[in-house]
Amino acid sequence: MPRIVLYGCALALAAGVAAIPAFAGSYLTAFVLALMISFVMAQSWDWVNGQMGYLNLGHFAFYGIGAYAFAILLTRGAPLAPSFAAAVFFGSLAALLVSLPLFRLKGDYFAFATLAIVPLCELLANNFDGLTRGSDGITLPPDYVLVPAFYMAASLAALTIAVTLWLMRSRFGYGLRAIRNDEQVAEVAGIRLFVFKLATLTLSAGFAAMAGAIQAWQFSYIAPNTMFNLGVALVPIAGALLGGSGLLLGPLVGMVLFASLEQALLVKLSHLREAVLGLMIMLIGRFLPGGLLRAKWITGHRSLFWLSRESHFEVAASTGAVSDELPLARRAIDKNQIVLACEGATMAFGGNVAVNNVSLTIRQGEIVGLVGPNGSGKTTLFNLISGIYRPRSGRILIEGKDIADFRADEIAHLGIGRTYQIPRPFAELTVRENIAIGRTFGASKTPLVDAMRTADVFARYVGLDGLLERKAELLSLQQKKALELARALAAEPKLLLVDEVASGLSTVEIATFVKHIRDIRDHYGITVIWVEHIFSALAQVVDRLIVLDNGAVIADAPLAEAMRDEKVLTTYLGHAATEAK
Amino acid sequence: MPLDIFIQVLLNGVLLGGIYALVAFGLSLVYGVAHILNIAHGTLLAISGVVASLIFLKTGWNPVLIIPMIVIPVFAFGYLFHAGLLRPLARRGKHDETIGTVLITTGALIMMSDLTGFAAGTQQRNIPVRSEMLEMGDIILPMAQIWILAGIVALTLALHFYLKYAWFGKAVRAVTQDAFGAALCGVNGPRARALTFAAGSGLVGVAGVLYAIIYPVDPYMGFSLTVRAFTIIVVGGIGNLAGAMIAGLMLGVAEAFTAFLWSPKWAPAISVILLLIILVVFPRGLASWRKA
Repeated sequence: MPRIVLYGCALALAAGVAAIPAFAGSYLTAFVLALMISFVMAQSWDWVNGQMGYLNLGHFAFYGIGAYAFAILLTRGAPLAPSFAAAVFFGSLAALLVSLPLFRLKGDYFAFATLAIVPLCELLANNFDGLTRGSDGITLPPDYVLVPAFYMAASLAALTIAVTLWLMRSRFGYGLRAIRNDEQVAEVAGIRLFVFKLATLTLSAGFAAMAGAIQAWQFSYIAPNTMFNLGVALVPIAGALLGGSGLLLGPLVGMVLFASLEQALLVKLSHLREAVLGLMIMLIGRFLPGGLLRAKWITGHRSLFWLSRESHFEVAASTGAVSDELPLARRAIDKNQIVLACEGATMAFGGNVAVNNVSLTIRQGEIVGLVGPNGSGKTTLFNLISGIYRPRSGRILIEGKDIADFRADEIAHLGIGRTYQIPRPFAELTVRENIAIGRTFGASKTPLVDAMRTADVFARYVGLDGLLERKAELLSLQQKKALELARALAAEPKLLLVDEVASGLSTVEIATFVKHIRDIRDHYGITVIWVEHIFSALAQVVDRLIVLDNGAVIADAPLAEAMRDEKVLTTYLGHAATEAK
Repeated sequence: MPLDIFIQVLLNGVLLGGIYALVAFGLSLVYGVAHILNIAHGTLLAISGVVASLIFLKTGWNPVLIIPMIVIPVFAFGYLFHAGLLRPLARRGKHDETIGTVLITTGALIMMSDLTGFAAGTQQRNIPVRSEMLEMGDIILPMAQIWILAGIVALTLALHFYLKYAWFGKAVRAVTQDAFGAALCGVNGPRARALTFAAGSGLVGVAGVLYAIIYPVDPYMGFSLTVRAFTIIVVGGIGNLAGAMIAGLMLGVAEAFTAFLWSPKWAPAISVILLLIILVVFPRGLASWRKA
């Protein structure tokens, strides 16, 4: 759809909404107001669910807190503006306070803990009756505020759309989507999880609190059982899911449909209104996992597919000739510089000692092969270096810095990049977005726009040209491995940890890969530790071999020497290796 | 606090806690086997209680006779509810499945409460059985409460031995531990899940009748019971009956004393606050707690 038409539609819609109070009756005005409030609730909830992947069932608690803060201040004589400000303040503050404990939880447990917040708030509102007047509720001064409340709600809805558009195209938003796809990988890629989560929940709570305050102002009466009602609490969630959670237009379309349907059904009913509402929520849960806008006839339609867009990022058209040169700094190699040192690093899971007193030193510009039988501790050692695990004892130093107190994202910023044995690209994001996330959040810290543009070069380097806009989940296993390498390289690491990329590759592909490993060392000064079972691939490029068995280093020597080592032959290579020579 | 009052409050708490534990058993089995948090679980108790009360007022039968009249339809309802609405969600990704079950069971909660309120009225009801009083010194207890306590103990033991020794009980425990491994050993996972869901519902039906003998019920009270049951299974460990019984008794006693010493309006706060504290201190669930 041409951009001008889009802007025209948006403008017409805004003008139409703005004209409603002037032309429509108070019934319709109040309906549209409630719809806009519901949209703000649905969309702000979806920032946490659809973008960040956390199911917050307690979103409505912030709405109630906002309404109460506003009502309490207003009835005690505070002017309007500070009362609204207090609503946002207390709503955000509540979110900040619950963030600390809640974000220690994941998945189901997070959802259940947030669900318990709504009845807790209802109880507090009922019991602190000195402040809240308990179950009697609070009655606000009976002014006619429908029109100003309408315009405030419209402004808040417009602001909500603006924030959503920003999230869909900003570095922050891509951080959230990385967290949704794979939190651990996101952290190792350099994303500071807690700050992202805290900021998002607080932002969403602030909007919910403001929505609650505006709605309370228009209702002019609030009580615990209407503000913290479980049925009402799930309406925005059901609305967002009806449209499609995580989509740019999902919550908007879904909420409009839901509210209109609800209105049409309820207008005819004097009884069983709640039952109808419950049935609608139930049916959405049962039949619409991805929402209406993810239906095939929309995503596959020539002129409707844009309704289902997930991001708002457009990469500027390529400027013609692109060089094959990777956009990485060319660093000179200083052979005396120690990049990584492990001193007696030990890691155990229960009684199983996976890494046992490992000491090793990696110098700048080395390509080191790390081998050993299955279960010998190779991947665990990588997990220790990249900060996924903390060593039980011993130290790990990166360029002389002890990383004991470093989070995984800080370690990434020190210049450690890695791939995973079982590839873990951000599945629902495209190849381009995967690479750009690695680049913008990693040690390179390139701005997102540049990272998106230069993603082409990395993709071509690993053989993924032409697949830039494809979602990572649709790639083959080998392509996913290639993508992981591209993502790690894009971060501009000083030390690259490569975990089994060659298995499953053809001889020609292995040769290309070996050439890449040599290239990135020779041209960009990147030090490499390569875990691999295909020994012939390793033997072509490594300077040195470190052999692990049962978590301990049994050999650490130049390649030729290690291959003659008796212990290495018995535990790993087998005597056939010497015979083959 | 005089000793006789102390014992009276303690016994009330034990009775309440025993019923909470029954409610939690069902939720625990269902969550353990099917990974479904049934938010409508407590509402089934409320509705069972309301219906049992109506039957009692109409016929005057002994509540022991009313129990099967409640349990059989509730069991069937649970089976159909799972088979028709929840089982198909297992095909989705984990996050989508959780959202789906939350919406379906919450929708069911809202619907069931409203339909029952519409058909049977929204007022509080109970089962006013006439009961002899058991007097031990200053302590006076209705015999009905003693019978209820005995019933809870019998039901818990029966469930325990069934899970431990019966073939299907073992299958249920196997699915709780590792659904895929159980399937490899020949356990029909979907059937085990549906039957467990039905059995959990049936249990809560029994609890509903017992509850209505002691406390008033109404169609809208269910959710607070679900929250309590969830607290209990988080404290006691998912799929762990003994743990749930202990946690249930602790919660019941704590609520009884809070209500007596402070104010009844703060009693419901205990479970929510306890739940949040436990989840925060032991974020990986109680497996980490039991090891620690």
